Amino acid sequence: MSDEQQPYVRKIDRRTALTWIGVVGAATAVGAGVVVYGPKIGGKTPGTKGYGTDPKLVEPAPAPWPRLLSDGELQAAAALSDFILPASATAPAATALGIPDFIDEWISAPYPDQEKDRPLIRNGLKALGPKPDAAKLSALPKASPDFFKRFRYLVVGAYYTTEAGFKDLGYIGNVSRATDPGPSAEVKAALERELAKLGL
Amino acid sequence: MAEPYDVIIVGSGAGGGMSAYHLTKSGLKVLMLEAGRDYDPTTETPMFNTNAQAPLRGASTPDKPFGFYDATVDGGWEVPNEPYTVAEGSEEFTWWRPRMLGGRTNHWGRISLRFGPLDFKPRSRDGMGHDWPITYDDLAPWYDKTEKLIGVSGAAPPRSLTNTPDSPPGCLMENPPPRAFELFYARAFEAMGIPVVPMHGAVVTQAMEGRNTCIFSTPCGRGCQIGANFQSTTVLIPPAMATKNLTIITNALVYQVDLDASGKAKGVSYVDRVSGEHRSATARVVVLAAGSGETARILLNSKSAKFPDGLCNGEGMVGRYLMDTVGLNVTGQFPALEGLPPTNDDGMSVEHLYVPWWGYDKHKELGFPRGYHVEIGGGRQMPSMGLGRLIADDEVSVGDALRAKLRQRYGSIISFNGRGEMIPNDDCYCELDPTVKDKWGIPVLRFHWKWGEHETKQAAHMVTTFLEVIDKLGGRPIGKVERDGKKAISKGGEMIHEVGTVRMGASDRDSVVNQYGQAWAVPNLFVTDGAVMVSSPDKNPTLSIIALAWRSSDHLAQMAKRGEL
Repeated sequence: MSDEQQPYVRKIDRRTALTWIGVVGAATAVGAGVVVYGPKIGGKTPGTKGYGTDPKLVEPAPAPWPRLLSDGELQAAAALSDFILPASATAPAATALGIPDFIDEWISAPYPDQEKDRPLIRNGLKALGPKPDAAKLSALPKASPDFFKRFRYLVVGAYYTTEAGFKDLGYIGNVSRATDPGPSAEVKAALERELAKLGL
Repeated sequence: MAEPYDVIIVGSGAGGGMSAYHLTKSGLKVLMLEAGRDYDPTTETPMFNTNAQAPLRGASTPDKPFGFYDATVDGGWEVPNEPYTVAEGSEEFTWWRPRMLGGRTNHWGRISLRFGPLDFKPRSRDGMGHDWPITYDDLAPWYDKTEKLIGVSGAAPPRSLTNTPDSPPGCLMENPPPRAFELFYARAFEAMGIPVVPMHGAVVTQAMEGRNTCIFSTPCGRGCQIGANFQSTTVLIPPAMATKNLTIITNALVYQVDLDASGKAKGVSYVDRVSGEHRSATARVVVLAAGSGETARILLNSKSAKFPDGLCNGEGMVGRYLMDTVGLNVTGQFPALEGLPPTNDDGMSVEHLYVPWWGYDKHKELGFPRGYHVEIGGGRQMPSMGLGRLIADDEVSVGDALRAKLRQRYGSIISFNGRGEMIPNDDCYCELDPTVKDKWGIPVLRFHWKWGEHETKQAAHMVTTFLEVIDKLGGRPIGKVERDGKKAISKGGEMIHEVGTVRMGASDRDSVVNQYGQAWAVPNLFVTDGAVMVSSPDKNPTLSIIALAWRSSDHLAQMAKRGEL
């Protein structure tokens, strides 16, 4: 991580941002990728709808609900995301994959699991502040364990469901194959060694 | 096509699709009415989409309870505008319905196990439950035909395991080899003296005429764009359409069977779910295959002077003997599987192996009368939002240490799912709710549910068994494990195997339909879905629904040929 983290810029297109504005009128789009939010953010947004029971699956539309994170919360989410998963020698940082936007999408969603996460995550981000220093981030797992664990859970899920995440994790499926040859001799040999240790 | 049709089929899933396939090929003019919308798997299946392309990374929501990419359209545990109720004092019951052509066959688990000889004669076996009017041998030829038509994998040398039929040569295709986690868990079961055998899955794994072969990637639950697994919409409806004998009307929610003056069925009434208009259609024969709940609802709503309590319900049996499958899960994490070299574990989506019930001769000592099989998932599946479960709550790692732990543990989780037989009981049934109606004013179903001790004891045994297996494999269970079978058992309906509301039997005193699904009270009315089932063995019902529907449809076609309709 660099000493001075650059401000996180939303990785969304203007059309999507305008869709949210159409719904709530709470934010102003000033250009591609930049959205300035009004001060009133939080709670349940009346009339907010999910994607419905018959969404297009092959080319999914962006999540239709308005985003709730203030810019300060978003910057806190960016700092914490990169504290959890900074760039490694071979894999990008969480912010490079737009994870803070996903956190915003998640906690803004009009569904029970996400509504349950909303106060925990937003209060945690507010307490963290937009520019947390290294000491504050390092202290977080002990200072706010529930918030930290849930936030990390969301970051891990969001990160490793991307192609870059697949590569970092070692998921090599989702490719068409003429046959399924099963595990290699190397895998089987490693498995046999483990089974022998277990007396199986 | 001009009316009148020879046959109206209500529903387009396993039973309705099979009935349409056989009746149209037999030269009969068929009108199929489907409550949901038209659906085309060749253009609507998100085959290779990643979770990152979906809202909320594809996570489950009330709009899409099995995840964003699950094939189910306009449904799930709740269907907009179409409520159902659960009676006061009842245990929980939940009812999965889609609203799409092909019904639940678009997303189903594809597990295709034959019922065994004992499953058809439970009362003769030990005095519990009720006997079917047919034997395994009566249905066996139809299982053969069904497996060959829909494409089922799982070929293996005959094992002659009790009540676990081996298919004759030529019926099944071979599974891909077991994956590492399957080789791993199999060793523990085998050490306990429990056989592990190839799963039977409705997936085309080898070259088959007229079908594409599996490409060994992407989950079957999204549906299959290339038709390599069984869906009514890819395997049954297209050939039925090709006969030019099939007309399909979608968004047609049937609520009543209409009778003529002599008391024979003359057609059905339905509401167009989009326009709200009420319409009717006529035919010489009506076949109900709307799913066990909906089929019972249609009969109960078909009231007349002759049938004041609902059609075919003179003995009060419609809606009775409602059954589901006992379900229970224990998941474990296994250090022995950590750090295995990356492997493509996508497989054929359906499990490559499974554990059939092994205790047929031990029920007395076990203290519960019916068994279960085990479906076991694991391996290096495409990551989902649940990946974070790999990190325990008390671990504070971040950065490279976190990445290393995830890499190490990815693929080391195995999920054990018991699926057991339920014996029908007097506390499990559905009826019309006296007050609640759907958007179109049609009375809805009210469910009553109570698991018996036979089932809750069986569930407790599942927990004990899975913990023993996990222990043998050096693993630890994930999350709190509930050992009380009453609390650990699935909700009624949760396994989506609800069957038995319009059961078949040897006479009109103990059943609603005969062995061909033909209503005792209305001879030109047939039922070809899971409603006709007399028992609910541990084996998943779809394969048997198709085989029974084929047998019944053939009987119907023979009657038509003889001019008996």
